[in-house]
Amino acid sequence: MVQDDAHGGALALRAERLGRRYGQVWGLRDFTVEVPAGAIVGLIGPNGAGKTTLLEMIIGLLEPTEGEVSVFGTTSRAHPAARLARVGYLAQDHPLYRDFSVADTLHLGRAMNPSWDQGLAQARMDALGTPLKRKVKALSGGQQAQVALTMALAKRAPLLVLDEPVSSLDPVARLEFMQDLMATVAGTGLTVIIASHVVSELERLCDWLIVLTGGQVRVAGPAGDLLAAHRLLTIPRATPDAELPGLAVHRTDDDRHSTVLVRIDPARPAAQRPGWQADPPGFEQLVLAYLQRRPQTAAGYDTAPTATEVTR
Amino acid sequence: MIWVSWRQHRTQAVACLGVLAALAVYAILVGTSMRTAFSHDGLPACLARSQGTICQDAVQAFTGEFGSAVNIAFYSVLLIAPGLLGVIIGAPLVASELEYGTWRLAWSQTISRTRWLTVKLALVTGGLIVLGAAMTAVITWYRAPMDRLTGHLLPNIYDYEGLVLTAYILCAFGFGVLAGLLIRRSIPAMIAAFIPWLAIRLVIENLLRSHLVAPVTLVQNCGGLCIESGQNGGTGISAIPPATGRIGDWVLSIGGNAQGTQNVFTYQPADRFWSLQFIEAGIFVALTAAALGAAVWLLHRRPA
Repeated sequence: MVQDDAHGGALALRAERLGRRYGQVWGLRDFTVEVPAGAIVGLIGPNGAGKTTLLEMIIGLLEPTEGEVSVFGTTSRAHPAARLARVGYLAQDHPLYRDFSVADTLHLGRAMNPSWDQGLAQARMDALGTPLKRKVKALSGGQQAQVALTMALAKRAPLLVLDEPVSSLDPVARLEFMQDLMATVAGTGLTVIIASHVVSELERLCDWLIVLTGGQVRVAGPAGDLLAAHRLLTIPRATPDAELPGLAVHRTDDDRHSTVLVRIDPARPAAQRPGWQADPPGFEQLVLAYLQRRPQTAAGYDTAPTATEVTR
Repeated sequence: MIWVSWRQHRTQAVACLGVLAALAVYAILVGTSMRTAFSHDGLPACLARSQGTICQDAVQAFTGEFGSAVNIAFYSVLLIAPGLLGVIIGAPLVASELEYGTWRLAWSQTISRTRWLTVKLALVTGGLIVLGAAMTAVITWYRAPMDRLTGHLLPNIYDYEGLVLTAYILCAFGFGVLAGLLIRRSIPAMIAAFIPWLAIRLVIENLLRSHLVAPVTLVQNCGGLCIESGQNGGTGISAIPPATGRIGDWVLSIGGNAQGTQNVFTYQPADRFWSLQFIEAGIFVALTAAALGAAVWLLHRRPA
């Protein structure tokens, strides 16, 4: 029972009008997205944007207040066990039992997961030089993150969900973790969702993008399509938004010029105008423009069409 | 999952064995000298012939030597010990996962969190039953000579023999688990679980226990030893034999009738020990089941 996307590929994640309310406040609302299998998704947003809320609903640790989410066709409300088996999860701050040894931690993974791959887990620990007999609390932060990642990987689930995996690590450990992650998932067909508030960490890894602020999706889609559908324009400051060849996502004005990220229709490139300069945006520029974008209405809802629609 | 539960609770298991060993050492040391004195004083023969009436001096010498050690130091600790043990093991069972964030690890594995909790609860409950039974066995062996003088229905004796000690531990454990799930902090949960446990424990001991089965009323013609009408002659807990004349009876009230010709006793006969134990232990086991059932249901329904 696997759902397909419009192009016949399997869907790893499907969310429809997904929302979660905490008391009066919506942690996430109106989240609709379809992620194909094999995508490496960067979920980017500031702290408090609703990233963890979304991830916990995907895993099934949190029940949606409204809407529905399914992982490889298994919905949130039915078959919690079937869904748990499909997701490997690395929680923020990589929680582990501190008085367990590394071997105990792997034993726990084996005991609690029928599909556990002990060979993979041990090979990873060997490759990383992590002593199996050492207690978790005696490991460095980077090693703890690696053990936690190994727990998620050795479960052999087709979807891997990582919540701020490197935010608590020092710069060297961050780099090593991301390099290892990239090498590990390359060519495996794993679908990965990796949440972060640091854009630069995700650029080389991700081929899919979801930007979340204030519990709302700002943009979502394959990174390549999104980059092709935007231009970074440098224009005279006096130019009104109405003359732009598409929706102005974010505009900064200096003394004489304005820099605007504009969403365009890639099939119909706009004619160049004298005094305008149009460049393809970088990954980071695109993400930052959406992160900085003001909500369009007083109620906080972004009523402008999202890029999900642009890319269809 | 069995291995996981054992790995997480083995430190507690070892600590419990340590407590049990300390209790056993104390019981063997004091219990052995108590047995020696009991035979040496000739009490077995005297009790067999006269229910202790013809050897009051020897009885008093024996209870004077061992009664205070047995009744005060030992049992005041044992009043709160089952509750402390239960909440110390119960409260962190879920609360520590929530405190340290490890619930995100534990509940995102393939085994569902409901199964995770029920297996843990089953194993820890089983361990506590074994521990409670072992403690009961040690205390019962240790108390045996004293029980031959007083029976084991009296408060402070009844509470540590038979079934109720184990049921007290289980109840505090159940309260601890539920409080830990609701409060999400181990230490506050221990306190929140211990207070109602102690309240229920004391209310049942002091108000309900004597009426769990309707007491027997005994009316005697008193001859010259009559109690004045309306005056309570005291229950004479320490009297050997008690006012009914049979060792082990738990005398609840002693009074005289209006004419001053008869004495009226109410009491629980010694042979009701097991029925009373079953009923009281049943109450605590039912409370345990309700608390643990609520915890499983809550975790199943509202995970985070």
